[in-house]
Amino acid sequence: MEAVMEAEHAVPLGVTALFAALLCALILCLALEEKLHAKKSIIVGCFAVVSLLLATYLGGPDGLLPFGAVLVGGHEIQMPVYIPAIDWGVIAIILGSSLFVDVTAKSGLFTWIAIRLTKASGGDPLKLLWCYGIMTVVFSAVLNNVTAMIIVGALTAVSLGKLGRNDKLLGFLLIEGLLTNVGGLLTLISSVPNIIVGRAAGISFVEFFVNASPFVVVTTVVTILMGARLFDVRRLATDEERDQARKQVAGFDENDGIESRGFFWFGTVMTGFFILVIATTSALPGISNLGMGFVALSFAVIMLVRFKAEVDQFYKALDWDLLAFFAGLFIVINVMEHARVLDLIGKGLEKVIAMGDVAGTGAVLISAAVFSSVTDNIPLAAILAKILGNLGTPSDSALWWSVVFGANLGGNLTPIGSASTLVAVTIMHKHKLPMSFAAFVKAAIPFAGIQLALATGYVLLFLR
Amino acid sequence: MAQIDQFESAFKSASKTLYEHAEVEIASVLVVTDLATAKAEAYAGRIRGFLETLGDDVSWRTVLGEEYGSAEALLPLVEQANPDLVVTYRNLHTTSWRFPHSLGSCVNVLTQVSRPPVLLVPHPLAGRELDHALQNTDRVMCVAGHLTGDHGLVNHGAYFTCPGGTLFLAHVEDDTVFERYMETISKIPEIDTKVARETIAEQLLKEPVDYIESCRAVLREAGVDLTVEDVVTRGHLVSTYRDFVQEYELDLLVLHTKDEDQLAMHGLAYPLTVELRAIPLLLL
Repeated sequence: MEAVMEAEHAVPLGVTALFAALLCALILCLALEEKLHAKKSIIVGCFAVVSLLLATYLGGPDGLLPFGAVLVGGHEIQMPVYIPAIDWGVIAIILGSSLFVDVTAKSGLFTWIAIRLTKASGGDPLKLLWCYGIMTVVFSAVLNNVTAMIIVGALTAVSLGKLGRNDKLLGFLLIEGLLTNVGGLLTLISSVPNIIVGRAAGISFVEFFVNASPFVVVTTVVTILMGARLFDVRRLATDEERDQARKQVAGFDENDGIESRGFFWFGTVMTGFFILVIATTSALPGISNLGMGFVALSFAVIMLVRFKAEVDQFYKALDWDLLAFFAGLFIVINVMEHARVLDLIGKGLEKVIAMGDVAGTGAVLISAAVFSSVTDNIPLAAILAKILGNLGTPSDSALWWSVVFGANLGGNLTPIGSASTLVAVTIMHKHKLPMSFAAFVKAAIPFAGIQLALATGYVLLFLR
Repeated sequence: MAQIDQFESAFKSASKTLYEHAEVEIASVLVVTDLATAKAEAYAGRIRGFLETLGDDVSWRTVLGEEYGSAEALLPLVEQANPDLVVTYRNLHTTSWRFPHSLGSCVNVLTQVSRPPVLLVPHPLAGRELDHALQNTDRVMCVAGHLTGDHGLVNHGAYFTCPGGTLFLAHVEDDTVFERYMETISKIPEIDTKVARETIAEQLLKEPVDYIESCRAVLREAGVDLTVEDVVTRGHLVSTYRDFVQEYELDLLVLHTKDEDQLAMHGLAYPLTVELRAIPLLLL
């Protein structure tokens, strides 16, 4: 039996097992990121270094890695073996989008929208929950989950404080945290797993939106209704209370953060244009070849012209930990591919898929959710996308959607499951609200359970 | 997370205190003097002219010097009259008015014990009042250590301003305190001193400016016939307000004297009340 398996592997099974153990160790370390007091980029960077060294010295005289020149556009180019391992398209999208959002935020657009919605609610807690819930979903879809949670969470803390409703802050923040991962499902660029899986599967922006949006709408409504019930968020009872609340939120000035009216409108137009171009990238001649990364970077550059003398401030504010994490992660995954670890996992996944169209697809979704609840969903998405690609999974397969839904919604099971829920918990702690790991799981399980049930049903009924 | 704090700061900055207008009602005025009948009535007549804006329906009563001799004897008189406003001057029943260093025991106690506001006018014999003093109230200034949210102060200022007059809403940030903090910040490597100086100074003055803007809008909406001017700056508190009296030719200064946390006069109020003797002060 062992001889047969050895024959199937161009790489010795022992070497594959060693790298598999290394991958498990990486995932474990990422899950224990908080305990290790180490940033993701350093964790994955260490594993990338070790993986590259082991892959160079193990696996025979030539090692496991394809050293030598790389063929780019018919030209042989010398470059380090770990450079082509990185998916620069994904890095470009994240880098460009982050810069674009950071500069656009300076225009005051997002705070303007947030305050206008607060005023539109008239300070009524239930209306406020609906406004903030929908805003969280939309911001998560357009910006990124973490930025959306920061903006909405910060506003929630300030506005509930002003309204004297601090007793509702914990419920609001929890619901918003859970909705960031729902909103993160709305478009192809709303979350990193979407970008990775979407690119691997060849799903276009419009196709992604059309398939995901009905689920996002239904799940948002269900989550807010559940949240209002569980956290006892009700409408104000008397005219006097309503009048008082209206006066309190009237004190918010949506124009306070707008330093230049011209830049505000420029930011507004550019945001609309950015979404339009990103949505139609695959249909735009020429641009479709350059890709979404080019679009994101181009829009970032255009916005940065406004701050041409101080662009370094925006570069400093970039999430370099996240970008370095991606680069390191892609290197590790590339090594794992050469060490046949992904083949090994793929074989396991094939068995799950072989459970049948219904059970297999559902099992992939649930297992992806459980896995991403305890560790970062990005490595999960990257590994599964690679494996599904290697298995020749067609782009219209429901399995891609199982990974997308599972990886995003799994983040709602625990506070460490996604960066945005972690931000929600951070804001809770900042405002001295008790929320332990166990308390979060206990509070979030009913929401996450319903969301995963809806997702499984949706994928099996409409996307299969 | 720095970004959470950044956005919370942005939203806190956008959350502004709006002025709430309420009518002040003054139906009776008690003029407390230490003079004999004729001089007291003449003085009270001058005060009535000065406070013409209160209207004709106000009932006036004058306390003569012979009716009391101490603060202990004055308080029951005030209590019995139960006025909405007490008008008096410093150093009652003493000759200390010759020295501009005190208020006298009667005024000291009256401002802290009596419910109604006290209008402190220049002493009739001291001759320190400015030429335009006690003529009318067309240029009134509200003074506060923290103007934002002090609706009562603004309401009184607006009430005492003649129709068509100007209400100055003043906020002076204490330069000495500011520099003390900046000096401390300059010794903390983690804080950029230049940024701190610029942004803190800007934010300190922005809040009262925003509040004054709200006062202007609400008073206009309420149909109150006056012009609101903002005087928001940094400086040495007492000397800056002393300069304002001259610079803006003020007829009346409105300020708080009571402090919930202490029996003595509110911090800035005492030096201002002692020193600004050339125009009337309305002490709330």
